[in-house]
Formats: sequence, C-alpha cells, structure tokens
Amino acid sequence: MANVSVFAEQRDGKLKSASTDIISWAKSNGHTVSAVVIGKGIKSLEGELKSCGADKIQFVDDSTLEVYTPQAYSEALISVVKNTNPDYLLAAHTPMGRDLVPYVAMEMESSSTSDCTSVEWNGDSLKCRRPVFSGKATAEVEFIGNDKPKFITIRANTVPAGGDRPGEGVTTDHSVDLSNVTQKALGMEKGSSARPDVTEAAIVISGGRSLKSAENFKILEKLADLLGAAVGASRAAVDAGFRPHRDQVGQTGKVVSPSLYIACGISGAIQHLAGMRTSKCIVAINTDPEAPIFQVADYGIVGDLFEVVPALTEEIKKIR
Amino acid sequence: MIQQIAFVIVALIAFGLAFFRVKDLLKLMKSHNGRYSFPTDIIPRLTRTLLDVFSQRAVLKKPIIGTIHATIFWGFIIISFGTLEQFLGTLVPGFNFGFLGNPIYLIFLFTHDLFTLLVLIAVGAAVFRRAFAAPKYLGRSSDANLILFFTGLLMVSIFLMHGFLILGTQFHYSHREALFASFEISKFLSNLDFSGSEFEALGISFKWVHMILVLGFAVYIPGSKHLHVLAAGPNTFLKPAKTEKPMTSIDFEDESVEQYGAGKITDLSWKDALDYYSCTECGRCQEVCPAWNSEKPLSPKKLIVALKENLYANKSVIFSGKTDEITHVVDEVNTEDVFWACTSCRACEVACPVFIQHTDKIYDVRRNLVMMEARFPLEVQTVFKNMETNGSPWAFSSDERINWADGIDIPLISSEPDPDYLFWIGCAGAFDDRNKKVVRSFAQILKKANVKFAVLGTEETCTGDAARRIGNEYLYQILAKTNVETLNRYAIKKIVTTCPHCFNTIKNEYPEFGGNYEVLHHTQLIGDLISTGKIKPRKTDFGGTVTYHDSCYLGRWNGIYDEPRNLLAAVSVGPVVEMEQNREKSMCCGAGGGRMWMEETLGSRININRTEQAKDTGASLVASACPFCITMVGDGIKAKDYSNSLVVKDIAELINDATN
Repeated sequence: MANVSVFAEQRDGKLKSASTDIISWAKSNGHTVSAVVIGKGIKSLEGELKSCGADKIQFVDDSTLEVYTPQAYSEALISVVKNTNPDYLLAAHTPMGRDLVPYVAMEMESSSTSDCTSVEWNGDSLKCRRPVFSGKATAEVEFIGNDKPKFITIRANTVPAGGDRPGEGVTTDHSVDLSNVTQKALGMEKGSSARPDVTEAAIVISGGRSLKSAENFKILEKLADLLGAAVGASRAAVDAGFRPHRDQVGQTGKVVSPSLYIACGISGAIQHLAGMRTSKCIVAINTDPEAPIFQVADYGIVGDLFEVVPALTEEIKKIR
Repeated sequence: MIQQIAFVIVALIAFGLAFFRVKDLLKLMKSHNGRYSFPTDIIPRLTRTLLDVFSQRAVLKKPIIGTIHATIFWGFIIISFGTLEQFLGTLVPGFNFGFLGNPIYLIFLFTHDLFTLLVLIAVGAAVFRRAFAAPKYLGRSSDANLILFFTGLLMVSIFLMHGFLILGTQFHYSHREALFASFEISKFLSNLDFSGSEFEALGISFKWVHMILVLGFAVYIPGSKHLHVLAAGPNTFLKPAKTEKPMTSIDFEDESVEQYGAGKITDLSWKDALDYYSCTECGRCQEVCPAWNSEKPLSPKKLIVALKENLYANKSVIFSGKTDEITHVVDEVNTEDVFWACTSCRACEVACPVFIQHTDKIYDVRRNLVMMEARFPLEVQTVFKNMETNGSPWAFSSDERINWADGIDIPLISSEPDPDYLFWIGCAGAFDDRNKKVVRSFAQILKKANVKFAVLGTEETCTGDAARRIGNEYLYQILAKTNVETLNRYAIKKIVTTCPHCFNTIKNEYPEFGGNYEVLHHTQLIGDLISTGKIKPRKTDFGGTVTYHDSCYLGRWNGIYDEPRNLLAAVSVGPVVEMEQNREKSMCCGAGGGRMWMEETLGSRININRTEQAKDTGASLVASACPFCITMVGDGIKAKDYSNSLVVKDIAELINDATN
C-alpha cells in the first residue's frame, strides 16, 4: 500500500473532475490517498473529497492563493509534500498541472513524468505510458531509484471516473509562509462562454463559414449544450467574425483531439485538418460530397447542416 | 587678398564640419558587427556601377520623377565643375578653365548654362509634385522641401552671378553667347542703373552666395536624407550580383558566437548601415509593399528610416563604448508587429532605386526574436514543433508523404535509381488535398511525356524555407542538411518541383550545405516538354479570359516571369490579361516569409485584396504556379463568394487537362 498524494485542482471552489477521478481511482486500488487542496476559501470541499476517496485532506488556505501563480502554488505544494512525504504525487494534466508539477519536481530534485495516457499499479509501483513524437509512438515509463515522491501528471479521461469508496477525510491545515512571493495575479479574465474550452472537451462541434452568421451558431450551441460539448470554428468562420479566435480549431488555432468531433459545413482545408484530424471519431456534415473533410471522417452526412443539425438535436433529445 | 583669406576660412570651416560629420557616420557604420562578405568581382561591379549611376536607369523606372531626378543629377555633375572653377578662381584671381581651349570651354559654358536652366525647371517640377501632385507613398518631408528650395536658390545665384558678370566685365563675346540663358538675363539686368564696376561687384557677390550655399550643402547633407548623394553610389556598387539571393547563414559550430540575429542595431552589418544612409525616403518601396497596402504597421521606408533613427539615438553610447546600453532594435516605431508583417515578397528591394536590401534586416531581427528571445507569434510554435517532429509545417506524419500518389503508379527513387529528374513534392503537395491535385497533374504530364522521373516518397522532408524566413535558422539547417544528405546519397543531379519555395531553397540555398543540383520549376520543364514536342496540349476554353498571378519566389526571387505566361498563352483559347500589379510589381498573396502559418490580425487581408485585383480583370480563371498562392487566392475566392465566377488553378492542372 503506497502513500499517494493527489493535487486536487480547484478553481473558484470547484474541484476538477480530472483530479477527483484520480483520487477515487487510487483509493479503489487500495492505497492511502491524501488530497492536497490549494487556494482561498476552500474548506467547503472537505465533504466532496472525503466521499470520492480522500483519506487525508491537506488544506493550504491563503488569500495569496486565490488565483493561480506558479510561484505561490509551488511553494505551497512543496511545503505540504515535505511535511507529508508521500510516495507519489499525482495530478491531472491540465494547464495548471502541467505547469506546476514538473516545476515542483525539479525544485525537489525528484523524478517526474507527464501527460500519461495509461497508468497501472503493479503492487506499490506505477507503470505509465505516454505519447511521444506527436502521438506516433508510446513510451513506457517506470521509475527506478528511490526518489520520493515521484511526480506524475495524468491526462483527463485516463483513469475510470467515479468510485464508491469514501475515504477517512482527516483534514490538516498547513500554513505556508508566502511573504516572499513576488508573482502577483492581477485578476482573471474569463471567456464569456459557459461551455468547455475546445481543447478540454470530450466532444467538439465545429462550424464553418457556411453557417453564414454568428447568429446561426446557435444551432450548434443547442446541440453542444445537450452533449456537454464545446463549440469550435474553422478559420474562415473566425475570419468572418462569427466566433472569437479562441474557438478556432486548426493549424493557427487550437489543436484538439476529442473523443467525438462533429464538423458542420467545414470543407476540411489542410489548415483545419491540422487541428482536428487526430480526433477519435470524426463526423462530417457537408453539402459537397467532394469535400476533403469526408476523407478523414468516420461518419459522413452529405446534407445541409441547417436541416441535419436540428434533426440530430431533436433525436438526441428524444433518447435522453 | 581679403577674398582669398575669407574663402580659405569659410571653406576650411565648412569642409571641416562636413568632414567630422562624415567621420562620425563612418564610425557608426564601423560599429556594426554583423557579417558581410565583401564582393570579389570588383572590376565588373565598378563598370556596372558607373553605368547604373550615370544612366540613372533605376530612378528612371518611374519616368516623370525619374527624369526630374536625372536632370538634377546630371546638372549636379556639370555644375560641380563650374563651382570648382569658382573656388579656384577665388583662390587664384583670374583663373578659369579657359586654358582647355575654345571649343571645349565653350561647350562647357553652354552645358553649364543649359543645365542651370534645366535644373531650375526640374526643381520647379519637383516642388509642384510635392505641393500639388504628391503620390501617397511620398509623405511629407521638410528636409526635402528645404533641399529643393536651396537647390533652386543655387541655380538662381548662378544666373545672377553670370548675368551681372556679363555686364560688369569684359567677358569674351563668344563666352557670352555660350552662356545663352545668362546672357538673356543680363539683357534684362542691364535695365538696372548701375555702373560697370557695380555690376561686377554684384556678380562677385552672387558668386559668394553660390559658393556659400554649396559649402552649406556640404555641411547639411550628412545629416539629411540627401546623404544618399554620398551613400547611394557605394550601395549601388554593393548591390546583389544576381536576382537570386540566398540568405546569409549562421555558423552554429562557431562557439565564440553568443548572439544570433540582430538584437541591437550594431548587430546588423556595416552594409546594412550603408543601406539606411542611402535611403532617400522616396517611398517606392512603400508603394508596392503588400503589408503597407493592407494597413499593417510595416512600411519598408519607415522601417529603414527608423533603423537610422535608432542608430543615431544610440550614437553617444556607441561612441563611448558602452555597448551594453545600446537599446533594442525593436523599438516604439519598429515594433515586433513591423517585423512579423513582412511576407518577404521582395517588392521593396526590387523597387528601390538605391538597392536597399530590406529583407536582410527583417530576417536578422526575426532571428534574434526567435532564437535569442523566443518572441514570436504563438501559432508559429506549432509550425516549429511540427517541422521538428514531422518534417512538415503541418502535423502530418512522414509515412503519409506518398499518399498523394494513391492510384497512380509513381516510381520511387529506390526502384528508379537513375532518373532524369527527381520530382520534389514539397509538404503542400504531399499533404494538402488541394495541392495534391497539382502534383498529381504534374506527375501525369511527366508520364505522358515519358520522362524518366522518380520521387523520394517518405524520405523527403520539409526544405525548411518557412523556418528560415521566420528566423529559426537552427531548425532550417537541420532540415537542409537532412535533405542534402538524402539527395546526395541518391546522387541526384536534376530536380524539378511544383513549389517555388522549395525551388528557391534547393536551388539557391542548398549549395552552401553541399547540395548542388540543377533545379527546375515545373513551368520551365513543361515549357521544354512542349517545345521538344514531347507533349502537345490543345487550346482549351477556360470560360473566358485568364490571368496569371506571379509567385514572389518564382518572379522577384528568381526572375521567372515569362515561362508561366508562355504556357498560359499556349493553352488558353481566351486572352491572357494582366492584373494591374504584375511581373516585378506583382502583389504577394500574403503567404511568404512564414506568413502562411501566422494569423493575419492587423489591417485587411492581403489574399482578399489580391483576389479582388484578379476579379477586377474580368478573368474567369487565375492561373498560378505556387501551392501557397493557390491556397491564399482560393481562400480569397471562398471568402468573397466568387466561386461561381472565378477559379484558381495551377498551370500544371491546366496543361494536364489539355494533354492527351
């Protein structure tokens, strides 16, 4: 039985499911799990952490930690890790996790691996797999030596979600001296959309210029809300001003790889394909049967998106 | 005697001041540390420079202002001899060039007077142009106005000097006749109620006015845009020997080098300094710049002027040796956006009458931003990463490189080890569905003509053009060396490619890395195949008139303008019309210099502007010969919903469709 610490990432008092998944997975594999929560006004998360499997909960609650900065968060995490001395420190491979964890590992002169897409317990040791060379090969990583803790970030949806083994939930408050922190977050600027970001979503629905107006993206948004999907756009649609640049999928926008990608009215120029062709399942809706998007699509619908998408939305509503 | 002493004092002060100003300029120039290899072909360069300078042919590319400038220039040469005569005559009373004998001296006086008149007219025309007919690219310049005013004054002082002297002294009658204009003026001046000696005194006074103005010029010039009088000649001497201009490379093996590219102005080369000294701010570069014309912050003229300003602003720290305190070359005027806006289309360099090499500086600054400071547009990171891991700017794996050939029998180099031509596909041809059609068409042409060719298949990798032009020289050299190694391993001699960027890189930039091949663009080889009767494309109707869009890397970088046009004329039933901006003035599609992979967030869209220009010709087909141009113009057509009336095709597609 290993002592496993999990960096329980929260933003605005809400835990990331990618983190709680890791807690319950470690717990259900029979390990002692300690959740490390860093932030301001986070004590209310105790119940949720306990029920998903945290045996111990380490709080670092400080007003300096309200918004993430690498310096303050790493000092907090280093302090907790030094006090609790776990065998592993696991975190979700989110923007915060991928920033924080390798840095802390380096500061503590310990070993780390990141962006694992498979993790497997072999007794008390972990065997990890991670993609290399743009996903063309997979590296198998095992830790040798006695570094403690070993740092690992795990990609979202890698470990099974949920778990029914609550932990003991013993809380400890850590006070960390953050007076030397020079980095200061001036504030957070958020996108207006309540929908997930295209790079984080498991399902992405994208529209092209043939949607004709920003207004018409509502058709896609309805379907997206039903599926919990993100709404993306081709460069042409962004250029035409239908969507903000942060939604752009493609070579010069975001590169996404969701489980399901629905391309509506996108012809599939190389600029766009470069950003989504590694999606696990691609559905293309286009009036032009010659459109290159059909070359990469797993399922193709030759038809007018203004008919197909609402029909699809209705059908899914019926099933639910 | 008083005159002599006065002249010596005034001349010493003026020449002394001018000397120290020029000395400072030379010292500033020498403070530049960038690499520049001085040409070795001195004699041919000298001949060419004399021809360039005295014929004024570069300036005369714009006929009206060119004639104005040439008149002032030629006048300046002839009148300088007159000024020399006055200087010597002041030192040695009674001296003149009369000892040259009568016909020569008379011709001299006549041309001197003629050019005094012509220059006065030219100055008037130039003032009129600046005041009432100023082109947009010219801009306002008090410096120019001042110079024109004093040039005019110089000519007036000559006429008054001669006019009064004709009245005051016993000019030989034949000299009076030779000074035909001054003589007319003297007739008019004779109405003044002065005695002979008074006229002579007035004549001498105006000689002094003239001489002091000339000496004033000597002092003024080094600090003004008229420094080109001194710098443009040497700069013309140092202009690139050929149209094809490879970028300078960096020796990464040299461990003493700690600094890549230009972070400070002095990281540029002394030739770059000579470039900004030469700038006359005429604005011809700005007139043709696609970035400026699409409301980007880059104007090649402003770039060069701001570099000069940056140098002058750092003068004291440079002279005191505090090189650490030299400010960054990216400043409030030349912002990062300025350097990233360049499409490397080279229209500015081709338009420049004093042969300033704008792109060299942009590349050097980009190198610094990329390799030393990691400051570049976010989306470029993806390109670098893809080139590193996949050998392609797009994230496609190299084992898919041959997929374009699905369904056609294309010989791989492994099965055809001794081909006449290696067909270089390029990343766009290999991965982009639109451009796969182009390489397929060209491959079909080669097969129809029974050309023995082969492709590298999965062994090909990106040439690195975009990486190099964005500023990642290190990445470029890795890719270049990989390709040269592959090509040399197969002992390739001749290469043909459908991509002008690959063409330019392999042809002009690989020799430095040991890759020496005969490289053809596909429009050249198709031309050969037609002229030798290997293929006989029939005349085809493309739905009306057609127009040709020049690729910058084919045209301005390699001088290939005619070959594609000849092919188009050979195959099109409809007439071939030109866009307003064509050949060496052609407008870029917006994709060069790595811009293909950057977002265009400032100003209007270059590709849409160019598409509109094509549309304006009334043509129903835009022919091109470059995968990037096809992508950009194709996107422009889609964005403007012209798909029903305008298509863009590669010349290879047109020829293949027209060939059995």
